[in-house]
Amino acid sequence: MEKVIEVKNLELSFHTFAGEVKAIRGVNFEVNKGETLAIVGESGSGKSVTTKSIMRLLPESSTEFKNGEILFGGKDLLKISEKEMQKVRGKDISMIFQDPMTSLNPTMPIGRQIMEPLLKHQKLSKADARKKSIELLGLVGMPKPELRMKQYPHQFSGGQRQRIVIAVALACNPKLLIADEPTTALDVTIQGQILELMKDLQQKIDTSIIFITHDLGVVANVADRVAVMYGGQIVEVGTVDEIFYNPQHPYTWGLLSSMPSLDAAEDKLYAIPGTPPDLLAPPKGDAFALRSEYALKIDLEQTPPMFKVSDTHYAATWLLHPDAPQVDPPVGIVERMKTFPGSRYYTGNAGGAN
Amino acid sequence: MAKKLLEIKNLKQYFNEGKKNEVRAVDDITFDIYKGETLGLVGESGCGKSTTGRTIIRLYNATGGEVIYDGIDVHNKKSKKDLKMFNRKMQMIFQDPYASLNPRMKVLDIIAEGLDIHGLVKGTKERTARVNELLETVGLNREHANRYPHEFSGGQRQRLGIARALAVEPEFIIADEPISALDVSIQAQVVNLLKELQEEKGLTYLFIAHDLSMVKYISDRIGVMYFGKLVEIGPAETLYTAPLHPYTQSLLSAIPLPDPNYERNRVRKGYDPKSHKYLDDEEVTMREVTPGHFVLCSQREFDSFKKA
Repeated sequence: MEKVIEVKNLELSFHTFAGEVKAIRGVNFEVNKGETLAIVGESGSGKSVTTKSIMRLLPESSTEFKNGEILFGGKDLLKISEKEMQKVRGKDISMIFQDPMTSLNPTMPIGRQIMEPLLKHQKLSKADARKKSIELLGLVGMPKPELRMKQYPHQFSGGQRQRIVIAVALACNPKLLIADEPTTALDVTIQGQILELMKDLQQKIDTSIIFITHDLGVVANVADRVAVMYGGQIVEVGTVDEIFYNPQHPYTWGLLSSMPSLDAAEDKLYAIPGTPPDLLAPPKGDAFALRSEYALKIDLEQTPPMFKVSDTHYAATWLLHPDAPQVDPPVGIVERMKTFPGSRYYTGNAGGAN
Repeated sequence: MAKKLLEIKNLKQYFNEGKKNEVRAVDDITFDIYKGETLGLVGESGCGKSTTGRTIIRLYNATGGEVIYDGIDVHNKKSKKDLKMFNRKMQMIFQDPYASLNPRMKVLDIIAEGLDIHGLVKGTKERTARVNELLETVGLNREHANRYPHEFSGGQRQRLGIARALAVEPEFIIADEPISALDVSIQAQVVNLLKELQEEKGLTYLFIAHDLSMVKYISDRIGVMYFGKLVEIGPAETLYTAPLHPYTQSLLSAIPLPDPNYERNRVRKGYDPKSHKYLDDEEVTMREVTPGHFVLCSQREFDSFKKA
């Protein structure tokens, strides 16, 4: 499969008054052509920072790239000049931000905002750019696009604004689209529409998507593959089925267990105890060990490597080491595993999957 | 059935009343809240669910209707003393734990503010002791009392908001999207805390949210709002297994679940208010389909619900 982007061993720190915040501590992943990779994790786990470093949107004065490379189209994005980077942004890689209220310019009609990348990157004439913009607005499901071109962001609802942002992002048919919590600020019904739209457009223009979110329901809906981040590292990566039906890392177990299910009437919701690690002084070993009831002695001393579960599935937990004691995940997780061929709890007749 | 703690009758909240840009944020809604239960209120943004909560607690003066708390009308003219009594019984937890705590006050003073106003403690020693006790109730510790809000994480701040609400020993708490601003793993912590406190202190909650799976988990009964109207209300289980109003059905079909197999086969339902095809002379009101399960419908729809 063709790789669109490859992030290798990325390490990054922010210099703040309080000291050096080790925000990203060795992240590796790649995105294949036409696929959607979801990055999940709680706030502060480094998921947004990872994607912002791909776009080089982090403040240069306080950010230090310590190590690693980001390979895109044969070039290392961390090494090219700002001028070259400007040619990449909005053309080859574009981004959809969380808040559609603040990512559009309030003083500019939306038509001009959609035309901007077309004029700059594709060197279209004004008339052609206008035509293309109207087309794009139609594509993202905006009724009466000609009329709407002249209107300002405040004349649109939240869901409509996010559609406009998507139109801007897709204007130049990017190879990679980064969506940073694009639906978090929206209602469930609108969220559903936007997700459908993104999946639909992805097929039409054959782009790859990095989708950042902390909503596992959304992940289950959009992702082909999932990377789980914790404390500035990827702790587990696999296909969407592998992560949801055969998770291996205790943090993934915790995340999945803390979502209430609609049919089961649990007495008490599982809550991951404690708080995320302080990246000013990252804990030794497995960053999640301090909050995990499954922590082994070695977790507090040595950082676990990525253990291979299958060709597509890797997890960084010492529990996968051949010498580790056999532990049973939480009941809800075992239930999930029963439906997954290849997990050690598989019961054969794919029960719950209907 | 348990005792009614709160009766909301034909509550209306219009903004810019009588002007061209009148907004009927809450349009004639009626429901009861029973003692010791959690009533969840869901709906999309702008449907008036937060306004309902804020009107109940008198942050807004209602345009019309009554809010009767334990037999007393809350929105009537009241003496300062009565109002104070009422304020003690009803408290609110706000959505944004970053904006609802005064950044220039220490945690000690934030939590003790209600105690001071209501004269519930005498002397510094008792005041500090009570605040420490409250901090421990919500899972923080006494060292936190001398810090400022910015020194806390989002989940911890929401705990402070809860401690502040509990300080005056209320009977009824309105929680306006208390977990929306928090991470998944922290959401579960706060929801569990709210549940524990309810069991311990016999609290009654009005839980406003748009996260339907969390609402189902915490609520005994759920009300669904759409454009200022309550369209359906009933026991949580019934509402999820047998929703009657098309808007409720559409809302439920949109919940994303952490289950890829389910997501691949999901059928999303849309909702179009025109689909009811109400005639001009039809009376559309809340009708009780099964005991405790009310739906906003016309007589014609009601008959078809009954048949099904």
